[in-house]
Order: sequence, then C-alpha cells, then structure tokens
Amino acid sequence: MTISHHPTDETLLRYAAGTLATGPRIVLEAHIAGCKACRARVAEFEALGGAVLEDTEPTPLAASALADVLALIDAGEPRTSTTAQPHKPAEIDGVRLPDAFRGCDIGRWRWIGPGMHMSRVRVPQDPDANIIMLKVGPGRALPDHGHVGTEFTYILSGSYTDRLGQFRPGDIAEVDEDVEHQPIVDPDQECICIAAMEGRMRFNGFIGRMLQPIFGI
Amino acid sequence: MVKADGDAFPVPPAQELARLVQAVAARGDREAFAALFRHFGPRLKTFFMRGSMSSGLAEDLVQETMLSVWRKASYYDPARAGAGTWVFTIARNLRIDHLRRQRNPADLPSDPPVMPPSLEEELIGVEREERVREALAGLSAEQQAIIRLSYYSEKSQSEIAGELGIPLGTVKSRTRLAMNRLRALLEDET
Repeated sequence: MTISHHPTDETLLRYAAGTLATGPRIVLEAHIAGCKACRARVAEFEALGGAVLEDTEPTPLAASALADVLALIDAGEPRTSTTAQPHKPAEIDGVRLPDAFRGCDIGRWRWIGPGMHMSRVRVPQDPDANIIMLKVGPGRALPDHGHVGTEFTYILSGSYTDRLGQFRPGDIAEVDEDVEHQPIVDPDQECICIAAMEGRMRFNGFIGRMLQPIFGI
Repeated sequence: MVKADGDAFPVPPAQELARLVQAVAARGDREAFAALFRHFGPRLKTFFMRGSMSSGLAEDLVQETMLSVWRKASYYDPARAGAGTWVFTIARNLRIDHLRRQRNPADLPSDPPVMPPSLEEELIGVEREERVREALAGLSAEQQAIIRLSYYSEKSQSEIAGELGIPLGTVKSRTRLAMNRLRALLEDET
C-alpha cells in the first residue's frame, strides 16, 4: 500500500488532543494504523499534549482528593475502563474492514443511483457519528454533495481522481467546506471508500433527493 | 501521611516522574503514587476546566485519571514516552469517554485501542519528548496559546473567534502560522 495523501497536521493534532468528533476520529484511525509517517506525527502531538499538561498551572483539589482515590484503590473496585467487550471485526460483502471499524454496524448496500451504492456505518458507542460507505462503479462520479464542515474520506479499495490528485487504498482525502472537487472513479475497477464529516452533509441533485429519505440528512 | 497540595513541593524532573510510575507498577508504592498525585492532580484539574468543565466534574475526572494511573502503571514504558505524555493520553481517553457517555448515558465506557509501538518507534520516544518541548518553547507566546487551546477544548475555530472577538479568518491564519512554525521547529531538530 503506497500512501500519498495524508491528513493535515492540524487534524492530526486534534486527533492526538482527542477533540475530533467520533466519525472523523474513526476514519482517521484507519489511515493512521497503516501510515508510519502519521503515527510518528501523532506520537509527537501526544508528547506535545504531555508538555502542555505539565506546563498547565495547578488548581488546588479538594482536601480529601488523594484520600478518596486511595480509598477507591483499597476498595479494589472492579476495573471499569478495560472490561469493555472485545469488538467483532466489521465486514461488508465478506471483506474485512480496518480494525478502526471494529464493533461498528455496517448496513447493507443500498442502490442510490446507476453504479452507485451506499451503506450507513453506525458506531454503537456514538449514534451521532456520521459515517457512510460508498461503492461507486468504474468511471463514475461520486455523489455531488456539499458539507458544512471538513470531510474525511478513507479509500478502502479501487481509486478515484479529482483535481487534488489520485486517491488509492490507505489514502485519506481531507476536504474543507470551501474546496470544490468532483472525484471520478478510475476506469479499471469500482472504488469503495468510507467518509465521515464534522458538520452535516447535504446532497445536491437527483442523488441527493434519493438519499434524503434514506438517511434523514 | 502525605499531603495533597502541590505548592510545598518542587516540580520533579521528567526522570523522577517516570521513576515514580515505575515504583507504583513494581510494588504498589503509595508514597510514589501520592507524589504523582500532587504533581499531576492539580494540573489535570486545570486541564479539564479549560475544556469548559465545572470544577466538580473536573475533580471527578482527575480521580478517574489518577485511578487509571494506579491500575495501568505496569503498562507504562519510559522508553516510549515521558510520564506526562502517558498521563495526558489517559486523561484524553477518559475525556472522550466522558463526553460520549454524556450523549449516550446507557453506554459503557470503553478504551480506544492502543497500538503497540514498533521497535523503531520505541527507540526514538525519549528523544521525541525533548524535541517537542524545545519546539513548543520556540513558538511566540501567542502561538503557544493557540496550540494549548487546541488541547484544552473542543471548541471550533469559529467559537474561538467569537470568544476572542476576532474574525474567523484571523483565527484560521494564526492557527496555520502556529502549526507551520511548529512543524518547521520539529523538522529542524530531526
């Protein structure tokens, strides 16, 4: 997997800071897991978070704060944060999705237009997360849509090209609301990608009218 | 018995903090834990409060974070990250969990997966800590403030713009400048 498109540093910093919404965070995680350069960047931004924490001026805690935690330790309360059940790997059409999507509910493919299918990805821990999978036939354009926040698209298989370049498996497209682009799937094979956005998505034209009732967006 | 206030104690150097976490891991050393609590507890409280949390909620998350420090101490690898970085990632994950539970009260907490480091990534861990601190110190006061703000709070740039009373474009360009400078400093020292 040759990766040539990465998230911006601003986004990797927000990922490391833990301030990204669930949808973008999961889609980015798929990319980062396969991208050594971005893993190194995230490690730097986590170290930066450590430096920021250390430089933060202290606010006095309640007088009993330490005693309270020691009492919890003595009580040997069951561990709450690591008892989460191991999530099943997510699949669609028998194809296993990256580990970032473990535990997600993948809806079945729905026909939304000629050579175009869509599936909604639900994150059980966060029903508000806005993630969709798209499967688009060779040579076809991705649905025409606008978005109010930044959109992140992870390429799972196949490839597409727009004026920002060619996007292949493992790549991530980070597109601002003010960027106009029209991705066209490359002619050799269909393209499957997973997209998440920060704001709400609005679809234009025929496809848009097809999608509104299905997704309630 | 140990005191909970941090003011009477000097700030321990990074190696000392790492040693304290290892003492907790090796023998459940309560003096070491108390020292970590005195150092990180009050800083974590400010950290959470800057992210628009009430003082009471911030205290709750400080307790949760420090409890995790006690329970997960054996997973801490000083070659991979400084103690401050490790505590930061615990606090960050708990904050993500907390915000999610707020939206979906029935949901159980879960840990985001932890990626095991490659050998090469481990080797550069310690050196990275120093490089990042130098880079942060190399930013102007205003640029440092912008970077800090992005760690404290989930506020979008437009909210920050409204709060500071400056145009959104100005916030965006200042953030971009701060990030460019930070990137240059980080790459300089590689």
